[in-house]
Amino acid sequence: MNNPDVLLDVSDYSVGFRTERGLAQVVDKVSFQIERGKTLGIVGESGSGKSVLNRSLMGLISSNRQIESGSAFFAGDQLVGRDRQDFWGKRIGMIFQDPMTSLNPVMRIGRQLFEPLKQHLSMNKEQASQRAIELLTQVGIPEPARRLRQYPHELSGGMRQRVMIAIALAGEPELLIADEPTTALDVTVQKYILDLLKDLQTEIGMSVILITHDLGVARGRTDEIMVMYGGRMMELAPSEELFSDMSHPYTEALFSAIPRVDQPKHTRLTPIAGAPPDPVEPPSGCRFSPRCVYAQQDCTINLPEADGPGDHKFACFYPVNTDDGRSARAANIENGQTATGLKIQTAGVS
Amino acid sequence: MRRSLQRLAMVVLLLLAVSMLTFVAMNVLGDPLFNILGPIAGDTENPESIAKIEAAKAQYYLDKPLPERYVRWLGDFVQGDMGVRFASDGQPPVTGLIKERLPRSLVLMGMAQAMALLIAIPWGISSAAGSLGGVDTGPRSWRFLVPFALKATAVTYFAQSLFGSVVGVVMLSWFIALLLAHQFAETVPAARELVDGVNKTMSGFSSALSFGFISMPNFALAVSLYYVFALKQGWFPLRYDASDGFFTRMWQLFLPALTLALPGSAVYQRLLRTDLITTLQEDFILMARAKGVSKRRVLFRHALRPSMFSVITVFGINAGALVGGALVVETFFGIPGIGTAVVEAILREDFPVVLAIVMIVATGFVVLNFLVDLLYSVLDPRVRS
Repeated sequence: MNNPDVLLDVSDYSVGFRTERGLAQVVDKVSFQIERGKTLGIVGESGSGKSVLNRSLMGLISSNRQIESGSAFFAGDQLVGRDRQDFWGKRIGMIFQDPMTSLNPVMRIGRQLFEPLKQHLSMNKEQASQRAIELLTQVGIPEPARRLRQYPHELSGGMRQRVMIAIALAGEPELLIADEPTTALDVTVQKYILDLLKDLQTEIGMSVILITHDLGVARGRTDEIMVMYGGRMMELAPSEELFSDMSHPYTEALFSAIPRVDQPKHTRLTPIAGAPPDPVEPPSGCRFSPRCVYAQQDCTINLPEADGPGDHKFACFYPVNTDDGRSARAANIENGQTATGLKIQTAGVS
Repeated sequence: MRRSLQRLAMVVLLLLAVSMLTFVAMNVLGDPLFNILGPIAGDTENPESIAKIEAAKAQYYLDKPLPERYVRWLGDFVQGDMGVRFASDGQPPVTGLIKERLPRSLVLMGMAQAMALLIAIPWGISSAAGSLGGVDTGPRSWRFLVPFALKATAVTYFAQSLFGSVVGVVMLSWFIALLLAHQFAETVPAARELVDGVNKTMSGFSSALSFGFISMPNFALAVSLYYVFALKQGWFPLRYDASDGFFTRMWQLFLPALTLALPGSAVYQRLLRTDLITTLQEDFILMARAKGVSKRRVLFRHALRPSMFSVITVFGINAGALVGGALVVETFFGIPGIGTAVVEAILREDFPVVLAIVMIVATGFVVLNFLVDLLYSVLDPRVRS
């Protein structure tokens, strides 16, 4: 926190929602830091709490059922427990998953882009339209002047995502939260958008949180990666180290579920058996234990805390690539099932 | 453009059908001759009566076959000549009567619709704003204080003047307490609960009020408003007087228009509220919030326009219902308008007048709904292409 390079310092941050069935702990004691100009990737499957974590940090969840605890300092200002409206667009920008529905369909691109310029930078109409054209050029939109007069439905999905990025950048935020920015786009467009984000980040020098369910997307475009599951942080490591020295079984499982170019052709992908945990009644012990091929008896009793050497943290008693982990897995394969009763198909694993 | 032309052609055909149907009904259901001459129409013995009958038949073209009379009437009608009145021996002609009565009713109905929208839009927005969550304005900002002070003054004034000064003082102290609760809502949980409770009660009150306006018959609303604002408070003139100056007459039309407007505004408010709540769930609203647009601007600039479709649809349809309402309101407030004219004409079986009014109302209704149709494409650019 005393380090001036740290832009966002989150510790023991939890988000819960009061529901009729009880408290749903959607984010559970997450801690991380982002330095200025750096990128953090947050990876996890649907329902892992990654989107809620970010929307809640930004104060965008307007529900009186929400309970927030822990602390989050943004450049020294405590975010938790206060109205964060003066951060929106100005200090923290956000882009969303679906460019088809995230732009106002009945408002011209120009007006949607002028709004943050006028509000945060107090520009007049001419300055705003000049800056808007610059921004559109910066995100790689051809004929920017003409686009200002167009409506969202006249642009393609990729174009709309670029417009959304331009809008988010308009207020010159210090942090950009990109919530699955390419999930709704064609694979061919995905790469352009991700590279664009990367380029803009180096150009402007802002910090970025890249939320994705795809480890492959985060690879090479982030400085650090946090893997989330069931609202908890499973592993946090510098990006390259995460891939070279995977410690958490969930990270490994996620990694084997995505196709890779360096694998031989027709390699069978390994799906993760089971479904994400129920946030109201999570499994006891490690949240991932019911689906984990490494799971032992103590995994279902004790909740592992994220810890580890240096800046590589993981929440696991039997980390991958350690003797403990290897023997735990070997024992499970031998039994044909894990301590939680997950059947192991030997052919698929070995 | 081509679609608009097609719609326009449909409008013309529709009006032709309406006119034909009304014309035939008016001529078949009664004996026009009897309506013109009275009892002597049936007297075929007396030569004097026969002469009168022949004269009347020639004057009103009653000796001609029905289709010819229709074409003749239609030709005159589109040129602005609506024929002669039966009841008053043709004096003044129908056109004259309409010219005198129509503008009043149009102003009344126009005012009513405008008022209904002016009431419904802020009402609908404020009743849906809760679903956006979060407080946009602190208790010390003028955006909170000005509406709060207005509300407090109005309620206190009414309570005081209707129920006496004791109730007035109670109301005033209640508002002061509420203001204090707003001030300490951030820090004192009890104050927060009070504010939340009041907001919840107010939203219940708002929907009770709108259902009240919708279910209350026009005449009952007219009597209540007349009693409170014209008789008791004396804010509005008691009668309409056609000989007064323009602005005085407009002022005299205010209360009648309000009577017509309130039920409409309640319907529009409910529709707008429902549509707004749906719109506020959209991704682009979250996006607008995230880029730092104020809650107020999100509601008015981002959410309102895509939520107007149901309102304008019913706005067009309601124009027809308004004619029926105008009839009651004009009678109650003594405004010689088109509603009273049509009642008189029906009672006297003065069918040229009825026919003319039916045609005018139908034309107005159809044209308005045609415009509403065009408005869809103005509201939503996606409809255009």
